[in-house]
Amino acid sequence: MSKLTVLEFPDPRLRTKAAPVAVFDDALRTLVADMFETMYDAQGVGLAATQVDRHQRLFVMDVSEGRDEPMVLCNPRIVEKRGKQMEQEGCLSFPGIFANVERASWVRAEAEDADGTTFSVEAEGLMAVCIQHEMDHLDGKVFVDYLSPLKRSMLLKKLDKQRRQAG
Amino acid sequence: MAKPAAPDTRALAAHALAEIALRGASSREVLARLTPQLPDARDRGLLHALVQAGARSWLRYDIALDRMLDKPLRRKEPTIHALLALGLVQLDVLELPAYAAVAATVQAARSLGRPRMAGLVNAVLRRWQREGDALRAQLDADDVSRWAQPAWLIDAVRRDWPRDAERVLAAANREAPLTLRVNRRHGTRDAYLDRLRESEIAAHAHPELDDAVVLANSTDVTRLPGFADGDVAVQDGAAQLTADLLDLADGQRVLDACAAPGGKTCHALERHRLDMLAVELDAGRVPRIRENLQRLGLDAHVLQADAAQPDAWWDGTPFDRILIDAPCSASGVLRRRPDVRLHRRATDIAALNAIQRQLLDALWPLLAPGGRLLYVTCSLLRAENETIVAPFLAAHADAEALPIALPMGQAAGPGWQILPGDADLDGLYYAALGKRRA
Repeated sequence: MSKLTVLEFPDPRLRTKAAPVAVFDDALRTLVADMFETMYDAQGVGLAATQVDRHQRLFVMDVSEGRDEPMVLCNPRIVEKRGKQMEQEGCLSFPGIFANVERASWVRAEAEDADGTTFSVEAEGLMAVCIQHEMDHLDGKVFVDYLSPLKRSMLLKKLDKQRRQAG
Repeated sequence: MAKPAAPDTRALAAHALAEIALRGASSREVLARLTPQLPDARDRGLLHALVQAGARSWLRYDIALDRMLDKPLRRKEPTIHALLALGLVQLDVLELPAYAAVAATVQAARSLGRPRMAGLVNAVLRRWQREGDALRAQLDADDVSRWAQPAWLIDAVRRDWPRDAERVLAAANREAPLTLRVNRRHGTRDAYLDRLRESEIAAHAHPELDDAVVLANSTDVTRLPGFADGDVAVQDGAAQLTADLLDLADGQRVLDACAAPGGKTCHALERHRLDMLAVELDAGRVPRIRENLQRLGLDAHVLQADAAQPDAWWDGTPFDRILIDAPCSASGVLRRRPDVRLHRRATDIAALNAIQRQLLDALWPLLAPGGRLLYVTCSLLRAENETIVAPFLAAHADAEALPIALPMGQAAGPGWQILPGDADLDGLYYAALGKRRA
């Protein structure tokens, strides 16, 4: 296993629309294992393939407190959603930046696992937010796209400033 | 997606400390990676304080935990083990209010997803509060847990500096001051001290150094007046002596052979108009040199290359001054680089010695007759200092030791040793070698 580099905004590759996963082979399982390692290492709860510059429709996720409930969703699609919630989100491609985003409060998604077996998952709260957040990545969208221009430019300035200070 | 709320600072510090102390990660790398997860500047300050003090005193509290726990957690629960050590550090070293430190550390166990460990964390920290005096006395009875330094290094300090050993060992465990270097090209030190006063930042001029300002408290340096404009840089006072000891003059051709992050290069250029070549082997650290030059408004040729292989990069024109800030054990700067004592092994020294000799041998021919080569380490081990320089002098008839007499430190073989804590400086070794005219 090896840790992958997470692309950081405004890397244009984050705008790539991912292609469906067609082959469920060892290479895919290696990618999934590497993405988990990368996500856990960064203390993240979700990571889309787009963020590690692999443009296939899949993401990994673990929203559990114990960090022991890994899930991988290949070719995810939301088949049903209900309600609205406004929750704080962060993103490994925007280190240190957090903002409230409106999402469906309950979703049912279908996807394939790393072996190609289709399954269904119902999620609310943080997991529902995470599924929607990661699926956006696969379409080349990022969470700040939902913010007002003013709020967005404020946060991006903050991101810039943090980078200068870290450098 | 990142966790929506900022992570628990102590939990993050436990992750960091486990990586540094148990898995050999560098504290610089770990902190650079984890700090951005904390949006708040105060949380970032606490993270740094916890990780630095945790690494610095690891060898003490790691042993303390062995005495307090029936079954050590080091292997099975490394993050909880590190969190417990951090709990003791908060009570014993950082002297945070005990009720808050204990409660927050117990909470951190929960946010690490180890709620069943919360009771244990609480019990260990409460016991330290009750029995701390007795436990401390036990720890002080053994050298390693007394000084929180590895046995080989304690032995080496006692062997090399028998008269100074105790204060040198103690200096490694004290917080280092934040020292600035005022950029002479932008203004005088007095003028900068006035600006600090206007910003209500307590500071004083270092009495023995021309460009150094010592801040009373640690602070976010990027917020200091004029920092972004290159009016000041951060550099320990001992390193600022380099510019004096190089004996510079305008127009000289100067080589800085191991330049990253560029502090000594920049200081020399702030003082004089020089034709400066800064060489650095580590490609990952070359950008730091360029950034520092750019921020301070200075100009040098920067080259990623192995200084010990000049055939690959030297144009044949000799240098008037050569600075070799040689790779070394960093045993003189333990107070600033708390992970060094955890990762450095006695067996590393021989390999470093080989590099130190190679650099001297390879670069000496590049020095012009009448020129000066300054050999510098941040080591207090004689094996890396006079034991390298004295045989070099003996083997080179055209080399002579030039006298050094500084207001702090002491003569050591052909050079001069500043021990850690002398005038509250880092521990550095300097030897100045002159090349005789034929």
